Formats: sequence, structure tokens, C-alpha cells
Amino acid sequence: MLVLSRQRDESIMIGDNIVVTIVDIRGDKVRLGINAPSEIPVHRQEVYEAIQRENLRAARLEPGDTEGLGRLADRGAAQGPKKPNDGPRR
Amino acid sequence: MRINTSRFGRIDIDAADIISFPSGLPGLEGCREWALLADATNDALGWLQSTTRGDVALAVVSPRRFVPDYQVRIPRSELTPLAIADLRQAQVVVIVGSNGKTLTLNLKAPIVINLEARTGRQVVASGELPMQYELPCATPGLKKSA
Repeated sequence: MLVLSRQRDESIMIGDNIVVTIVDIRGDKVRLGINAPSEIPVHRQEVYEAIQRENLRAARLEPGDTEGLGRLADRGAAQGPKKPNDGPRR
Repeated sequence: MRINTSRFGRIDIDAADIISFPSGLPGLEGCREWALLADATNDALGWLQSTTRGDVALAVVSPRRFVPDYQVRIPRSELTPLAIADLRQAQVVVIVGSNGKTLTLNLKAPIVINLEARTGRQVVASGELPMQYELPCATPGLKKSA
């Protein structure tokens, strides 16, 4: 792993379009500012890994597992008529 | 296009119905193209079916139909790749999972779809939201393998 020392308000560049700036350092906490093209997703690693795990787990679901879901829909309320575009449709 | 799926058999999908996820989905990065199918029996449920892997599909629902007070806030930087200025131009769905006991909804990482451009992205919503919001609905035992 490449290790670089930086002070507050200094930055590093990754490629020619990602800039990571040390915004603040307080005790054992560092605040980073990240400027990256919008098509590059930026996530906290533990959040990204949790989403990965959750997606893989969800991908095991089969249609038969979802029985019972129907009776739970719209239980929350008499909120008036459903919006026409409310449910997933092809 | 015709694809063979493990859940729904052989299905036909119009090219115009394909939704592209340029960044893929975490854990399923290889799947960039999906089709949103209506469930045969349950009108509250849809399936995002990968068009390249017949065995990969995710159950999705409109979160408000199950969690009426769900308020989703998404950083603008997450929406710019979809070319939408605000969520009213988009369809927001959440993925249905299971924690082994009940069905769950991933309220923290909803999927936002620009219906007009047919592009989508799984985003991380702001604030404290569960990835496994439990629905009061028991699930049969899930198979161990994907």
C-alpha cells in the first residue's frame, strides 16, 4: 500500500480527476473531502460491504418466499387513492 | 430479447424495457442490465431480473406501501449520474431480503430509477435507516446457496 503523509488542507490526486483533501484532523478522527466524477461511487467501506452482503442475501429470495407480502401492502393507511405510478411495473 | 431465468422460466424482454445500471450493484457488480418485472400474483411486488444472468433477480417494492413514513433523503451527488434533479422524477424501490426469520427491506440503500432514461443506481440514503427493516411476515427457510 502506498502511504503518504499529509497535513490539514493538503490533498492527494488519484488519476487526473479524483482529489482527496484532508479537511480536518481531531484526535484519532480524520475528515476527508473527496472530489470525484459523479459516475464514480464513493462509499464508506463498511457501508459498501454491508450493502454487498445484503444484496447477495436478497438475491437468494425466490418468489415462494414472498407470500404474505401482499397482505402487508398499504396497511399503513387510508391515505387516499394509490398513485398510478406507485408500484413497480414493467 | 429472450432470456432463460431460474425463477420465471423463459421470458421475453423488449430492448426498450431494459434498465441499465452503469455502476452495477454492490455485490452484483457484473450485472449492469436489468428488467423490472411485475410479480405474477402480488401487485405490490416487482422483480429486478438481470438480463445477463438468469439466476440473478431481486425482489423490490415501493417502500411507502410498506413503510408509509419512509422519508428518503439522498445526497445530490448520488443523483447526478442519473440526470435527475429530484426524486419526483424517479421511481424509488427498495430490495426485499430475509434475515432468516422475516422478510426485510433495505431502507438504507434504495434503488433509484430514471424511468425516462431507463438508468438506475443503488444509492445510500442519508440518516439512520436500517438495511434490514423487518416486516411482520415470516419467511420459509431460505436455500443456502445463491
